[in-house]
Amino acid sequence: MDKANLESLLYSTAILTFEDLGFLLPDDTVSEEQAAAPLCASARIRFHGPTEGWLCIRLYGNFLPEVTANMLGEDEVPSMEDQADALGELSNVICGNLLPAVAGLEAVYNLDAPDVQVGGGVPPAPEMPLASSCVVGIDDGRVELDVHDVAMAST
Amino acid sequence: MALNVLIVDDSGVMRKTVLRTLKMCGIPLGIVTQAGNGKEALEVLDENWVDLALVDINMPVMNGLEFIEAARQRPDTADLLFIVISTEGSQTRIQQLQDMGVEFIHKPFKPETVRQKISALTGVDDGQSESGELAVQHGDLDF
Repeated sequence: MDKANLESLLYSTAILTFEDLGFLLPDDTVSEEQAAAPLCASARIRFHGPTEGWLCIRLYGNFLPEVTANMLGEDEVPSMEDQADALGELSNVICGNLLPAVAGLEAVYNLDAPDVQVGGGVPPAPEMPLASSCVVGIDDGRVELDVHDVAMAST
Repeated sequence: MALNVLIVDDSGVMRKTVLRTLKMCGIPLGIVTQAGNGKEALEVLDENWVDLALVDINMPVMNGLEFIEAARQRPDTADLLFIVISTEGSQTRIQQLQDMGVEFIHKPFKPETVRQKISALTGVDDGQSESGELAVQHGDLDF
């Protein structure tokens, strides 16, 4: 699979997940305001199977509480623990849907538990080649997604 | 008939998302219990009558498949109905589940999908619960 197709799959998987699970409608483009939003949280998941790698997600802006509240179906501001849990689940769903779309429905992957950080600086990238990345504008910010995978990066 | 449902997932947010979806899709619910992994789910089964278990696969301590196998070995829960709710995309693994008689719902899911799967498996269709309200029990809020 070439990089353009991988990026397209990553983008569409992220859009679907935020729409269906987070009840937020991503934007077609990233506005100047969204591009300038500060980092609020990050997550990364290691996957094992026919290929080995990482999915990394960084959220910029202030919409993680809204996504979490939507998932919970509650009006109150969710706790930091619930926000971290929600981001972990979103990451898990994106990764779990992306891999069979890339490697085929017969491929069997195992995912490690997501490593989530709410607040703080930009986490270091995994020591593995970047295979694909994309940016999705959401609410007042954006989501950046990276896939690190030796085999996928070499295609 | 109102269904007593056990939701098993290591994510508290996902358990609440599943519960919210159950309420939205109109399946008549009795008592809803929750567990954070398979071992806790077996403890819930010790104390509660459950008609249907909605189970994640990847969980710490005891995963979803281990839980299903353990529950099926118990005489009192051998006939318990299971639906796995997971991000699993491998057709190989999904077929393994279906060969075990376990239904599968893919994350992210829509309420219509959840309603259809539950109705097909249990024969219970959407409608109002007899009391008109949901009785929700949380086995342990610290999951």
